[in-house]
Amino acid sequence: MDHSYKELLKMKRFPHTWCPGCGIGAVMKNVAMVLAELGWNYQNTAVVSGIGCSGRMAGYMNFDALHTPHGRPLTSAEAIKTVRPDLHVIVLSGDGDLASIGGNHLLHTSRRNPDITVFCNDNEIYGLTGGQAGPTTPRGTKTITSPRGESYLPLHLGRLLTGQAPYFYARTSVYHLNHFKDCIREALHWKGFSFVDIISDCIELNGRRLGFKTAHQMFKWFNERFHVVEGVREYLKEDELGIARMGIEEAPKPEEKPAAIPDVSGADLKCFTLEELQSYDGTGGKPIYIVYKGMVYDLSSSRLFQGEKRMRCHVAGKDLTKDMDIAPHGEDLVLKFPLAGKLMQAG
Amino acid sequence: MKRLVSGNEAIFLGAVRAGAHYFAGYPISPTSEILQQAALYAEEEPGFRFLQAEDEIAAAIATISASLAGAKSFTATSGPGFSLMQEAIGWGHVIEAPCVFVNSMRVGPSTGMPTQPAQSDLLQIKAGSAGDYYPIAFYPNSVKESFDLTVTAFNAAEQSLSPVILLTDAFLSHLFEIVDLEEIRVEAIPRSKEPLGKGTRLFTGISHDKMGNTRTSHPETYREWLGEIKDRHQQAAEKYPLYEYLPCSGSETLLIAFGITSRVLLSLKDRFSLFRPIRIFPILEKELKEMTRSYRHVLVVEGSDGQYAGWVEWAIGRRVLKVSCLGGGFKLQWIRSQIEEQLKGAGG
Repeated sequence: MDHSYKELLKMKRFPHTWCPGCGIGAVMKNVAMVLAELGWNYQNTAVVSGIGCSGRMAGYMNFDALHTPHGRPLTSAEAIKTVRPDLHVIVLSGDGDLASIGGNHLLHTSRRNPDITVFCNDNEIYGLTGGQAGPTTPRGTKTITSPRGESYLPLHLGRLLTGQAPYFYARTSVYHLNHFKDCIREALHWKGFSFVDIISDCIELNGRRLGFKTAHQMFKWFNERFHVVEGVREYLKEDELGIARMGIEEAPKPEEKPAAIPDVSGADLKCFTLEELQSYDGTGGKPIYIVYKGMVYDLSSSRLFQGEKRMRCHVAGKDLTKDMDIAPHGEDLVLKFPLAGKLMQAG
Repeated sequence: MKRLVSGNEAIFLGAVRAGAHYFAGYPISPTSEILQQAALYAEEEPGFRFLQAEDEIAAAIATISASLAGAKSFTATSGPGFSLMQEAIGWGHVIEAPCVFVNSMRVGPSTGMPTQPAQSDLLQIKAGSAGDYYPIAFYPNSVKESFDLTVTAFNAAEQSLSPVILLTDAFLSHLFEIVDLEEIRVEAIPRSKEPLGKGTRLFTGISHDKMGNTRTSHPETYREWLGEIKDRHQQAAEKYPLYEYLPCSGSETLLIAFGITSRVLLSLKDRFSLFRPIRIFPILEKELKEMTRSYRHVLVVEGSDGQYAGWVEWAIGRRVLKVSCLGGGFKLQWIRSQIEEQLKGAGG
């Protein structure tokens, strides 16, 4: 067996904090195994987690990891991905964190579709705080905050997240290990927001109250409740484990902006005359140059100039120093662009 | 080049000058213009990223996370939004993320008077998040100062490794003044923290030791860690003992005011000595002690019911008089009559 996944875990911090029989260990190990298989490590990946038992996973992962306040890992992961498109970003958290206190972020981060992968340890209970009913607790389940049985219907994450394309929603369980690993792999390869809902167990604070003696009995129970469906679906029924996804072609690719900040260096500047410059107006594949205070700036990356000779009142290939007087912005805007050269002084 | 600049625009351009590459925000009066400007700027500048978040909670978390990811980042809001950001600010202090939070104060509590200026978020920014932390906060009183204090706030953030707060008010945010921003030269300090993807660090809100091991029941580890944060903040703050002092010979009264109130009180500079703290927190304890020593009366004029006056009393160890300009009323005539009344009551 390949043990390279152990390099992705902080083994010296073991033994971990979770109860014997808990499903989180299986979640963490299998995610690490697939990451090792893909060659993802601390140099190209960031891990984000929330609060709760499952939130502790970040502390055992051998990556730069963020342990965010309760419910906020998705926003955090999105911001990291926005600033650093070169990093893979994965979120390891639980159902209470993602669907209850972080419910608003779940709606909106999935809508904005950043290229992040979310692993949700869905144990249908608040474990760390002592076994209170959560948003995914099935109706009728007795917990310490629903002593006569939970009276509300649970939130179906599958229906919530497959309402609007593009989406990637996979449901799997810690018992169906091969299926679980396939889901992890598929989710990590998906370009865009992908969510893996992992049915997991909390034996100590949920299972025992439900009458299970061991974690293994709970796993068997998952096997009775769910069955694996092959192939790609549009949506999953409540008792199905599988992958629902849509919009791989039509999905707008998450924005891939360059990670680097434009480099401005003043050495060995090329000299231009105003006549020469006029041809650099973006036509015929040439770059867009403008003059500001005697310096030539390359505005090719400016979106407002894109494919056009002019941007509102500014014309490419000209000296725009005077235009600044009537512009609504300061010169900082121009100075941010890379220097292409300087203007040859007349005479 | 001289031109008309608003307080909000100056803050945004100041942030750009400081090297900010990320802005996350949620619309709120009176800082929506900063959000709008960030959106426009992100279109123009490929290295600048922008997020209009679903709420202020997300905006604050995104700002802090972007900072860890490697970009100088900032957000802007007002009192009600700042209340939502408190959780993230506490987290930002613990995980040591340098970034800037702009709070343009309006009349509260709750929605209050959304278009009227106030100065009533001082206690909120000082201690609104859970636990002990030591925020640094600056408060300009002009458009030019809004620009250079924004750069200063970014610098202080890099030095203290924490979210630094830039206070302003609804009046200053929308105040237009003629400024030449290119002439302002404030050096921006480069990033002081390695971005993500360079190690195996754990950024956690749980109490932890230097190795990053979580320690949830070790008072010694906690004390050591908190003491270190306190020292670092104090050292960073001491680099910026910013205030303005306008003595008036023969005056027995020192008026203390900041932000919009200090602008109004300038008309009284021939009758009273004026002291304007620019670094609001940590409080200018030494400076306040020194300045107030020779005055018979110390009178704090502010847009809240004594939030700063309480701190002045704590710093100088004696009672001060106060005039509270509540509900957005900063009329000079009214303030003058209140000052007279207070002084009469105090036998001055």
